Amino acid sequence: MAYLVMFHWGWLTASFLLGLAMGWIAVVHRGPSVSKVMARWLALAVAALVALAVSRVVPGRFGYWLDLGLVLFACYLVGCAIGSWLRERVVSRPPVKPGA
Amino acid sequence: MHGLFRWSSKWWPGVIPLVAFWAIAAWTNTAPLEIDLAARSGAALKDSVLDKTRITVAGRDVTLGADAFSEEGRKSALAAVEAVPGVRLVNDETRLVPEAKPFVWSAERDVARVTLGGSAPLPASKGRLMEAARTAISGVEVVDQMALARGAPQHFDAAAQLLLEQVAKLKDGKVTISDTAVSLSGMARELGGREAIAAALKELPEGFKVTANDVKAPPYIFQAYKDPVAATLTLSGNVPGNNVHAAIAQAAERKFFGEKVVDNLKASVGAPSGFPAAVTAALGALSRLSTGTLAVSDREVKLSGDALYDGAAAQIRAGLGKDFPQGFQLKPEISVKPAAAPVDPTVCQQLFSDLLAKGKIRFEQGRGTLDPDSTALLDRLIEIALRCPTAAIEVAGHTDGDGEDAFNQALSEQRAQAVVDYLVKAGLPASRFTAVGYGSTQPVAGNDTDEGKAQNRRIEFLVR
Repeated sequence: MAYLVMFHWGWLTASFLLGLAMGWIAVVHRGPSVSKVMARWLALAVAALVALAVSRVVPGRFGYWLDLGLVLFACYLVGCAIGSWLRERVVSRPPVKPGA
Repeated sequence: MHGLFRWSSKWWPGVIPLVAFWAIAAWTNTAPLEIDLAARSGAALKDSVLDKTRITVAGRDVTLGADAFSEEGRKSALAAVEAVPGVRLVNDETRLVPEAKPFVWSAERDVARVTLGGSAPLPASKGRLMEAARTAISGVEVVDQMALARGAPQHFDAAAQLLLEQVAKLKDGKVTISDTAVSLSGMARELGGREAIAAALKELPEGFKVTANDVKAPPYIFQAYKDPVAATLTLSGNVPGNNVHAAIAQAAERKFFGEKVVDNLKASVGAPSGFPAAVTAALGALSRLSTGTLAVSDREVKLSGDALYDGAAAQIRAGLGKDFPQGFQLKPEISVKPAAAPVDPTVCQQLFSDLLAKGKIRFEQGRGTLDPDSTALLDRLIEIALRCPTAAIEVAGHTDGDGEDAFNQALSEQRAQAVVDYLVKAGLPASRFTAVGYGSTQPVAGNDTDEGKAQNRRIEFLVR
């Protein structure tokens, strides 16, 4: 894992920043959202992929690409979480009255 | 926390560029990653002893193919690759080098090259053997046809290197190690090479034994040529050492009374056993020929030339073989010199006197037995006697003045009789010869010096 992070740190940073931006936007975004059922299915799918990666059953390059995809996705999710949390802090702060 | 769930339902649009990132990252990084892992795996195997190592990387999975020389070596190589950071899986395609039974190694030499074949235990020892071959045998091409195999006997390297040094002493031939049995064949470069190799083989490491040493040496040559026109005896070829050299030169001086000895012998080891005795006997036979060549090659003795009369030819053919040490073979090609024209008895007397002036008939000290070294002279005397078949000849024996008169008288008679017996045995009629002993009564020189005494001890031939 450490090797994977070191070798792809540029891409991982990019994913993290992408997540940060997406998380920042998501708090005030009014677009369509993923339904709860869908979210569960997606979480299940990701869990299944993680299980595949951990058990190392996917051979060769596909195995490497799966690992890479999951690591990028993890960075993205962390970025999203931090982004949303920060935005939420900014949004929930009491508005400063103009001219006060 | 609840907020996080709520917001996360809106995170999905970012996944689209993320997938693009993923695709580009996978596209651009796969090959460099594989190259990097292959290099790291190769570096990790640097200290492992392996043959035919192949490393192929797909993604983060390394396929290691190699021939290992022991089970521990194989496992430690796999572990070394598994420990490389970034490697996910190692596909094991290693195997053990096959075991050779029997473990055979050989070095074969011909004129232009040395070929190392069979099995070597390790790549390093293979390299050492090639290096040893180049060092020991300079100036020839060294060809490597060795395969790697397990199962080498202990101290194999030392034994093989010692044998390579022996190959250097061969002109052509082959050495083989089969487990611990060593066999050699071929032709030594020079005289003594065979002996040098046999001596070196005693240094073989413990456990190894020589099962066959069929190394041959070039023939050990000795030649002698008797030239009656130049009155020389030319000796050439090899003698085993200075002592034998001196002995042979001395024997030649004694046996060839009328010829000058030209000595071109050189000392070399590797003579067959019994060489001095055989050569001395053969020189004795050569001295009886009027002209002839003696060629000794190892244990084969070729004597060719002309004997002085029929009886001498028969005696040489029959007698010489018996004088030889065991193993020596005589190949005589002896013809008889055409009989010389008959001459007057007075001429005969002249010839006898001339001949006896050049050489003396010798006897064993104080006894009446003929010295074999005088055979050549006796043959010449017989040849002369044959030229005047009607002449009656008195063979007169004389002694020096030492000792009692009665003893000297008896000795001179015995010696004269021994000469007559020899002449009769050679085929001359006994009626032509009378043996007379004069004791010390007719000295030709003073008896007060050794030289004078030697002159007085003599046999004379007198035509009556």
